[in-house]
Amino acid sequence: MKIMVCLKQVPHQDARLDVRADGTWIQEDNIKFEINSYDTYGLEEALRMKDAAGSGEVIVVSIGPDRVTQSLRTALGMGADRAIHVKDPEADAADALGSAKLLAAIAKAESPDVIFTGLMSDDGNAASVGPMLAELLGIPSTTSVMKVEKANGALTVERELEGGALEVVELQRPCLLAVQTGINQVRYASLKGIMAAKKKPIETRSVADLGLAGKVGAAANKVKIEKIAPPPKGKGAEMVTGPTADVVGRLVSKIKELGLL
Amino acid sequence: MGTILVIAEIQNGKVREASLELVSFARRLAGAGYGEVKSLVIGSGVHGAAEELAKQGGGEVLLADGPAFANYNVGAFAQAVRAAVAAARPSLLLLSNTPVGWDVAPRIAAALDGAFVSDCFNLELEGGKLVCHRRVFNGKLDARVAPLAEPVVATVQPGATPAFNGTADGKVTKLEVSLGELKSKFVATRIAEKKGVDLSKAEIIVSGGRGVGAPEKFPEVIQPLADALGGAMGASRPVVDAGWLPHEYQVGSSGQVVTPKLYIAAGISGAIQHLVGMKNSNFIIAINKDADAPIFEVANLGVVGDLFEIVPALTKAVKEAKGQA
Ligand SMILES: Cc1cc2nc3c(=O)[nH]c(=O)nc-3n(C[C@H](O)[C@H](O)[C@H](O)COP(=O)(O)OP(=O)(O)OC[C@H]3O[C@@H](n4cnc5c(N)ncnc54)[C@H](O)[C@@H]3O)c2cc1C
Ligand SMILES: Nc1ncnc2c1ncn2[C@@H]1O[C@H](COP(=O)(O)O)[C@@H](O)[C@H]1O
Repeated sequence: MKIMVCLKQVPHQDARLDVRADGTWIQEDNIKFEINSYDTYGLEEALRMKDAAGSGEVIVVSIGPDRVTQSLRTALGMGADRAIHVKDPEADAADALGSAKLLAAIAKAESPDVIFTGLMSDDGNAASVGPMLAELLGIPSTTSVMKVEKANGALTVERELEGGALEVVELQRPCLLAVQTGINQVRYASLKGIMAAKKKPIETRSVADLGLAGKVGAAANKVKIEKIAPPPKGKGAEMVTGPTADVVGRLVSKIKELGLL
Repeated sequence: MGTILVIAEIQNGKVREASLELVSFARRLAGAGYGEVKSLVIGSGVHGAAEELAKQGGGEVLLADGPAFANYNVGAFAQAVRAAVAAARPSLLLLSNTPVGWDVAPRIAAALDGAFVSDCFNLELEGGKLVCHRRVFNGKLDARVAPLAEPVVATVQPGATPAFNGTADGKVTKLEVSLGELKSKFVATRIAEKKGVDLSKAEIIVSGGRGVGAPEKFPEVIQPLADALGGAMGASRPVVDAGWLPHEYQVGSSGQVVTPKLYIAAGISGAIQHLVGMKNSNFIIAINKDADAPIFEVANLGVVGDLFEIVPALTKAVKEAKGQA
């Protein structure tokens, strides 16, 4: 059983978000990064699937600059067997379809039985790369996955719909599952795992290595972020300021006014 | 620019509200000179819904009707869209950012080698060019995105605009779809069983988010305020994902939709999926240490500060007011 897990490294959820000088993305210098929350759940699910199968290999793949090595090490520490780092400025500049093309080239070379992605990334919130990758590979996919079961070569999964409804879908393998957060409880890397990870390989690939020179990157992108900015402020809330005692006093009198106290 | 294809969703035999919102965007773009509006309806025994859509601004409605479409299947749905694309040659395809839309739209964009923009809250023509507006970083920043190629496939946030409510002359055209092999299949839908707290009945809800930081802080800090007010405790999704509280406490698009008389949000940033679950509450108080948190946009009263200071102080004051302290 060979499982590929796509990991994106994203700004830490508590990082300061300042718009950088050219106005098209955030200032990424001097902030902390982490593995996209959705992808930690994907990795955990892959590790459990390998354990249940009794044998196999979990390969983690990430496109990104040098700093991504750290997230790949973390993933290896959690139990992944091998890592592939697509390290190339052209790859970093790719849009979602470009990223999917890079990941597809790796998947074609590795032929995994199952591919895990996150439903979406915490930074761009695109929720695009997973299904795109499946389409490029001609394999079935499903999204918002909350449960995975194996039966007779196929996978039966539950995907989350709205308002507490779930949909049960059966997929032939190979297939791609874009997981939702909360599908499992994610393990931490153990000390032993971290030590073992030091000996595990991280291979690197360039865009050219993947046969996509000129086909992926800034010049090939089909969408462009022209500008990011804080959302315009609407009327907003009436802000209560001052010492805690005053703030609390104001809240209590409001709750009384509402007839709830 | 050219034809706009609205890909409608049918729910319980009717066109979904979100699909009529797509018609609004399509009509607006058409009015600004983008091109003609057409639609696609996919389902089984949905001719009536297609007729309705044709009267409600959907233009020529292509109808893929057959038992294979009785339940949503990503492969079947995608093939119907491909057939509609071959027939209508759209330069813009609009879907809703719903469990159907986010499942199939990126696949369609990849198959067409087109430009994909997800979860837009606005699409407009500027100087004859399409621009899309969407949120990034869970609503903390807005992005303006320009498609650089056609066709453009865009998904739109439900509720981003009112449903189209004009009338227009349309017609229904049957679309033949030859379904190839399907590599996945629909098995069933089910409703997760509801147990424990039914937040929809609570008059007062005090919800804690990821900012509460640790599971034990819910009984220590959030629950006491809920108790003092005689209300119920709620939570945002990350709290439930982390296993700090069971799912029945979750408020939002994948949890419960609540409309209490008073909703207090502590340590919740205000991502759209949370907001759709509580923004229609009668009165909202938000407590967050980040003055720019989007939750303050929907709140009536806002406090910028540390919840671990404000919430216990408020609990004490409420008890005093009730003469319990
Ligand atoms: C398909 C889908 C469905 C979803 N469904 C739901 C849903 O039903 N419900 C839901 O809630 N989310 C849902 N989400 C997740 C949603 O996108 C957000 O990730 C989530 O709502 C964020 O929760 P949060 O505000 O608690 O966390 P964060 O966004 O991380 O915010 C934490 C906040 O706490 C503040 N804070 C930290 N410490 C303190 C302190 N000491 N005092 C005061 N403030 C503090 C921070 O400033 C921050 O604003 C869904 C997502 C998807 C993609
Ligand atoms: N740079 C990347 N490297 C590896 N995987 C990625 C990358 N970008 C996106 N993905 C995968 O695609 C999923 C959806 O991301 P997105 O479409 O960017 O919201 C993520 O959860 C990852 O699993």
